[in-house]
This record gives sequence, C-alpha cells and structure tokens, in this order.
Amino acid sequence: MISILLRKRELKVREAIIRGVYEENLKIIGKYNGIISKERSFSLKKMFLTFVISVAAIFMHVNYLSPSSFFPENQVTANIIIQRPVTLPVDPDNPSDYRTFISNQKVPLSRMFGLGVRTIMIDPGHGGADTGTMGKMGTKEKDITLDIAKRLRDRLKKYGHYNVLMTREQDMTIPLNKRVELAGLSKADLFISVHLNYLPSKPINIIETYYFGPPSDAKTLKLAEQENAGSQYGLSDFKEMIEKIGETLKLQESKEFAASIQKNLFLNIKKETGYAYDFGIKRAPFVVLLGVDVPAVLAEVSCLSNREEEMKLNTESHRENVAHYLEAGILDYLNKGETRNEAKRHTERR
Amino acid sequence: MKQKDIQKEDNILFVGIDLGTSRSSISASNSKREWIESYVGWPKDFISQQVIGKLVLFGSEALNNRLSVDLCRPLERGVIKEGIEKSEDAVKEIIKHLIELAKPESAQKIYAVVGVPADTLKINKLAIRKAVSECVHSLMVVTEPFAVAYGMNLLNNSLVIDIGAGTTDFCIMHGTIPSEEDQKTIFNAGDYVDEQLYSYLSERYPNSRFNRNMVRQFKEQYSFVREVSDEIHVEIPVDGKPVMHDIKNEVRRACESIMPALIETTTEMIARFDPEFQVKIKNNIVLAGGGSLIRGIREYLQDALKEYGPCNVSCVQDPLFAGSDGALKLAQDMPPKYWEPL
Repeated sequence: MISILLRKRELKVREAIIRGVYEENLKIIGKYNGIISKERSFSLKKMFLTFVISVAAIFMHVNYLSPSSFFPENQVTANIIIQRPVTLPVDPDNPSDYRTFISNQKVPLSRMFGLGVRTIMIDPGHGGADTGTMGKMGTKEKDITLDIAKRLRDRLKKYGHYNVLMTREQDMTIPLNKRVELAGLSKADLFISVHLNYLPSKPINIIETYYFGPPSDAKTLKLAEQENAGSQYGLSDFKEMIEKIGETLKLQESKEFAASIQKNLFLNIKKETGYAYDFGIKRAPFVVLLGVDVPAVLAEVSCLSNREEEMKLNTESHRENVAHYLEAGILDYLNKGETRNEAKRHTERR
Repeated sequence: MKQKDIQKEDNILFVGIDLGTSRSSISASNSKREWIESYVGWPKDFISQQVIGKLVLFGSEALNNRLSVDLCRPLERGVIKEGIEKSEDAVKEIIKHLIELAKPESAQKIYAVVGVPADTLKINKLAIRKAVSECVHSLMVVTEPFAVAYGMNLLNNSLVIDIGAGTTDFCIMHGTIPSEEDQKTIFNAGDYVDEQLYSYLSERYPNSRFNRNMVRQFKEQYSFVREVSDEIHVEIPVDGKPVMHDIKNEVRRACESIMPALIETTTEMIARFDPEFQVKIKNNIVLAGGGSLIRGIREYLQDALKEYGPCNVSCVQDPLFAGSDGALKLAQDMPPKYWEPL
C-alpha cells in the first residue's frame, strides 16, 4: 500500500515536471498564455527615496555652477551636431572669472587638460536576485545586459590600451552602492551602465541614454526609481554624493559621452532593424550615475517589451551588434567625435 | 507502454541530445547512441575542399584537419573569431549530423529534447530552437543538469553538478522543474583547467612546444586531484626532438584549481534550503559531465563537504551519455499533446 502511494506521488511529481518543461518551451516560442511579464512595483518607500534624491538634485541644480550649461531646457538628442570648442577670455586675477569660464566652457575640461581614459568600467544592469525587467518569452534583462557587457569588454580589450573592467562577470546580486564603490576603487575613467527598457503600453523599441541630473519628466523619474531600487545607500550618503555633483568635469563629459553613445546606438539599430525610436539623451537621478566620480552614462540599449526586439535579443548576432554600437559610441567619444558614426564602417577600417 | 504504442502508430523517433561545449551526444528510441566532439569545420577554400573531399567536417576529423578548415566550437564564447552566424550554422550542422548518426527511417518523424548548458539557454534559447528545429519535427529545450537529473530519477532532494568544458552547472531538484534560484553556473570547468595547465606547463617548460589541443589531451588522459601513485610523463617536442616531460604536479594543480569554487558554490546552493532538506540534499549529490571523470574528485568533494555534516557524493555511470539518455527519457515520457505546438 505504501509503495503504491509512493509510486503515485512520484508520478505526480514527474507529471508536474513534464508540464513545467512544456510551459517553459511554450514561453520560448511565445505561445504561453500565462502572465509572465513582470512589471516593477512602485512602493511608497521607493517613491519617497526618489523624491528625496530628486529634491536634492534640484537643490544642487539651483545652487551650483551655471545650471543652464549643464541641464538645458531642451532635450539634446543624438542626432544633433555637437558644437565645437569656443574659448572665452579669462582674467587670471579675478577668481569669479574662472567659475564663469568653467560653467560656460564648451570645451570638455578633460580635453583642455589632456586627460586620457585608461580604465573603462562596464556595468551590466541588475543581476542575481534582481532580474530587472522580463520579456514575454521569459528573457531576463540581467542575462542580456551581462552578455552585451561581456561582448563590449572583449571588443574594447582588443585595442590593447584600455583596462576594461566589469562590475559583475556572473549572474550575481550586486547592490548599486557596491557598483559605485567598484568604479571608485578601480580608478575608472569612464563608466557605462547597460540596461534594457520596458514599455508595457506601447509595442515599440526605444533607445535612450541617461546622464545624471534632475529628471526631465515623470516617466524618467519613475524609471530612476526602478533602477535605484536596492542601492543600499542611506540619506546621508546621498547628501554627500549630491554635494559632489558640482564637479563640472563629470557633468560636461557625461553629457557628451551620452550623446555619443545615443547617436551610435540609435543610428545603427535603426539601420539594422528599421523600427527603433530615438528618445535622445536625458537627465535622471540614477544612483549609479550620481555616485561615480567620472563621466558616466546609463544606456537603455533596447526594449524588452517589444516582441520582435526580444526575439532579436535572443540571437548572438544582435547582441554582438549592440555591443559593437556601444563600442563605436565609446570610441567616438574618446576620439573627440572623429570616429565615423556607423559601427560597421568602423569595423571595416580595423 | 502507451507511449510505445503511439510511437509505433505514428512512426516517431524520439531522440535526446546533449549539446555540450566539448562533446555532443545523441540517444535515440531505436537504441542508437552516438557522440561527437562539438567541433565543426568548413574547408577554407576550393583546394582544401578538393583535398578533404567533404563540405563539412565534424569532431575529431575537423580537429585533425584544423589547418585547412574554418574551425568552430559553437557553444564556446570567445573562440569564434569570424562572426556569430557561423556558430549558429555550426549548431545546426552538429544537430543534423547527430540525427543522421541515429539513422532514422525515411518516413519517421523526429521528436527531440535537447539539453544545453544552462547559461547558453538563458540568452540563446531562440537561436538554439531555430538552429535545431530545421532538423526535427517537434522540439523541447532543457538545461543539461536537469536532463541528467531526470534521466537518473533524481527528481527530489538532490543536487546535480555537471562539470562540463565551458561551465559547471549546479541544479537542485526538489520535486518541480528547477527555477532559476535552483540553478547556478560557474566558469570553473574543463576549459579553465586547460588554461591553468597550459600556463603551468609554459612556466615550467618554456622551451617545449605544445599547443592547447595537446594540453587538453593531457588533461583528459591524466586528470586527477589529491594523489595518484603512477607517474605522468608525456612526450613534448623541444627544438624538434621528442622529449619526455614529467607533468604530474602541473596536472594536479590545474585540476585542483577548480575545487575551491566548486565547494563554495555547492555549500552556497545547499545553504539556501531549509535545514531539513539540506541533510537530504547533502546525501544525494551527483557529479556529471566530463569533469566527473577527474580521478579522486568525488572523494575530494565529499571530504570537503563533511565539514558541514555527513554527505554522500556519487558520479554518474556514463558521463558522456547521461545527458542525452535523460533527454531521451523526458522525450518518451512527454504526452503526445505536448509535442503538437512545439
């Protein structure tokens, strides 16, 4: 009798497992009807945290150097031509002139002083228990970002003169404060965080790139809240970090870096797939961008809510291409915009 | 019995395929079992095609002709230098070739369950389905350690550690299909051992000429952890002359280099579970994959884990076919209605 019961129980387990395998495979081909896409929750606690960051960022925005040069009202998109250097006369005896000079300066300070980039830190978004967003086929943001980041690392390493590091090389949970800490410890000169977007209401693929600043709209604020979840920073940490934002070099460079990434990503993805939308470069109070002392951007390289895009992201060739476009964006930025925009042409040259 | 009747009626050949980084195998319901090394080679040009006499080479044949073919090990990251499409084509070729080796009858439908490394499946599932689906009538894709667990009836309270070439996959079974939290992948596996061995040998014998393929063969032939009584001497050319080299210490160091990560991940995986289940899982740890053939690895792991209480580690009987046999069992147990939409 006991053996019959055990046998029945085993059969039940086996049936459940077989059904699980079947459902997993239905998900892969997009025929599974169960609710699998995960939308991020927006808890009151997180709302409060985001509010605090935003208020602090706006406070900084008002009190620090000329805000108009850092956060222009009109959004800068990837398609615009970045203006070339314009130098202003400076009176060496008048300290306030330096402030005016710095705040109005169109020449990135790193270039003015000939600062080079040796260490590039790539941050694959999410990881471990934090899956990020998830497509209808079950594709997880954390897996795609890790794969693209690894491909980007390999591509940049081939040049031989960059020390390319990653905040994570495996599927593991790393709090945002740890990522920021890693960038600081490794003395990174450039920081790029790779993420995927999710637009539940619209079946489109959008490309957008962020650098640190007060949010330009409600959607950006919500996105920042999502990406900041699990930062493990306290309010005092935020205050300290926000005070640092007066560092002109970082702001200038981050904006230009974001423009370069966005331009290369959008133009090439649009050319490759034909259905991408350019949402341009934007400001947002992402913790991971705020805490890093060097030029830093967060690139939303694709949109997992778009079914076609999710299918494409499941192919190695598309992920390799995205890494390629990011590489072109980084090189374009590092080479002062002299690199041609299209990553494919860039390859041919090498 | 019921399934067998359906099989007869519909003339279906069920196949289980283990698509590994280093070796791939097939087990079919017509009792055929075959394996190849996961290498695909296409003749580089017209002349090499004429010399080789084939459009595509597989496994050891591709390796032996590696100077005249474009060689591809499709499931390995980093080796492919000539574009990614090639690796997708290579997966297609391997599956096609394995199915040919299973010798299906001309009118037979092929229903396949394919086991792939856990990490590969996460982001390449559609590509793998696409590559495989051309060769079969219906298809399901699962992770390798899960296929091993299913085949060995380790459905509950067990931990399968599949030590492959590219990755070591951990999979805890607790009566349901393993979720992501139940599985973990680390990169300390066969290829890592090869890298270590290559570097140790280069350091000790800087004037000797050996390549990575030779190092892999040394590992496969002599791998061990802890201690073995026999000496390990291999022939490696120095200035063109074959010279015997003692590589025992280097082989041991290279093989033991994966053990700390293996032990740490095993304890971490087990610790996630309720203490009551931890005891059960610790007594049901199974090593699979080519890495389970490393001499002394079972005892090494078992002794290391004893620190955390009594445990029992065993190895699969046939690591080469454990994955494909499990995948075949899954294919045969799958109700016919589940095959239809896939």
